[in-house]
Amino acid sequence: MSKAADKTSILAAVKELPGNVWKSIFRNPLPTNDLERSSTSFTNFFLHIHPVKVHKNSLRPAYTLGLGLISFFLFVILIVTGILLMFYYVPSTSQAYDRMLDLRGTVAFGTILRNMHRWSAHGMVAMVFLHLCRVFLTGSYKKPREFNWVVGVILFLLTLGMSFTGYLLPWDQLAFWAITVGTAIAGYAPIIGKDIQFLLMGGTSVGQEALLRFYVLHVAVLPAILTLMIAIHFWRIRKDGGLSRPADADPTPPMEMMGASADPKPVQLEPRKTYGLQGLVRGPLTKVNNIPDNTVFSWPNLFLAELFVFIMTLSAILVLALLFNAPLEEPVNVMHPPNPAKAPWYFLGLQEMVSYSAFWGGIGVPGVFVGLLFITPYLDRSPKGVGKWFSRDRLLANTIFISFVLANVVFVIIGTFFRGPNWAFVTPW
Amino acid sequence: MAVNLKRSSGGGTAEVNVSRRRMLGWITGTGLVGSGVLSALSNFVFIKPRATYGQPQRFSIGKPDDFPAGTRITLEARRICVVREGSRLAAISTTCTHLGCIVGLSDTGFACPCHGSRFDTDGTVTGGPAPRALPWFKITLAPNGEIEVDKDIEVAPGSYLTL
Repeated sequence: MSKAADKTSILAAVKELPGNVWKSIFRNPLPTNDLERSSTSFTNFFLHIHPVKVHKNSLRPAYTLGLGLISFFLFVILIVTGILLMFYYVPSTSQAYDRMLDLRGTVAFGTILRNMHRWSAHGMVAMVFLHLCRVFLTGSYKKPREFNWVVGVILFLLTLGMSFTGYLLPWDQLAFWAITVGTAIAGYAPIIGKDIQFLLMGGTSVGQEALLRFYVLHVAVLPAILTLMIAIHFWRIRKDGGLSRPADADPTPPMEMMGASADPKPVQLEPRKTYGLQGLVRGPLTKVNNIPDNTVFSWPNLFLAELFVFIMTLSAILVLALLFNAPLEEPVNVMHPPNPAKAPWYFLGLQEMVSYSAFWGGIGVPGVFVGLLFITPYLDRSPKGVGKWFSRDRLLANTIFISFVLANVVFVIIGTFFRGPNWAFVTPW
Repeated sequence: MAVNLKRSSGGGTAEVNVSRRRMLGWITGTGLVGSGVLSALSNFVFIKPRATYGQPQRFSIGKPDDFPAGTRITLEARRICVVREGSRLAAISTTCTHLGCIVGLSDTGFACPCHGSRFDTDGTVTGGPAPRALPWFKITLAPNGEIEVDKDIEVAPGSYLTL
């Protein structure tokens, strides 16, 4: 009877309130055994996106370099700082630039938030591209990860779009002329080019309508699409069997262990499987499907690695934001482009190319390159060389890819250091 | 429950192996997908502005005396360069035909700061990526004695207004 009295006693309820609330939120204590480790991974909302067990190869820093994670964490930093900046920003040609000055002069933490947002944006462009390079150079786009590669290329383009639309918002000289040039490049696209240009600018010239449009794209449309695509990207990683790894990372079980001797064609055990009963049960009795296990529990191995990458990313951005101020040029002067008018560094390769031909440099060559990226996994179908950096089996594919990348790097360097007033060739020394 | 639809056409009958349910499914599916696509496309109709708030394309730029003979004066806000040679006047666009930057006056004509296009004094391309010459705009003398430029009407290079 005393037990029942405890349950209904208001005094006991109040006394146990904090503990009960805590336990209702966090259903598991800190795990001490494998069952609890797996339970923690799949009952926690924020952790259940992870597998219970993760392959050792996926945790090798030298394999992934953490580039995808860094890109994602930079996106998180961008969302947080971006939402905070929205409290003070007005997308109006008469106010935007003054609001930038306010952020620098009067808003608490205004400077560092803008710095963090700008450097994270630059970092995200760089990291997403390096992540793309990593996936290519390790042959990770191959079956069954073809579609996730396509999603990744879309994410890369969306990242460039985010960065491009963000550039207009300060309404300074760089912003205005970068957008003037950028929308003009869109106008060179065949058939629908002029319509796209008109829709982007909301008129026939870059002005208030264009600023408002780019603002809406930057803070609502593109982030929503980007978030959705990231969700699909992560989900596909799980469904495609985790991160890619070399074929010899999963030893095939010997035939007598397959357990289906009557079947002339024994079913190959799924090498993509990342966890199973045998992972949770220890001891000598679990012989069924018992293959050498190269996986470890996500708690704590994967989560600590992710926490480490997050802290390193945030620290790097904080240090950069404290050391370097985000550039802000003169307010817009629609009559005088700066001379030379240079785009941000990652678009300088493009700018160098359009200085030869607007169509080929701005639409043709980038279009062919992006098109090739999209269909790469459907052209290169050989299963060899997956999961190794610079595999000998992938010499041709890797050489072509690196040539494209180097060509762009050379164009970026020329555009950055060797172009002076009127885009004339100058030497930096 | 497949019901074979029998369709009589002229002399014989053609048998179509489509069940009613399947047919209705196709019609419904096409309708749903079609209206989804149409709704998505209507967004583009929505964001295409019907009225724009730009500068007027036709404007007066002052009396002929404001432009002494032998001068080339750029009106930056209007994005034109007014050229006067003797008693002849012309208005040349200063918007680069490459990617829309504003060209500046140079020793040999015009030069673009963005991608290095160069034009001679008549606006003909002499170098750089510009795909075509700077357009000349229609220029007239209004009854009140002011010069009027219409940027909506391009004229052949070399067509001056003789005062």
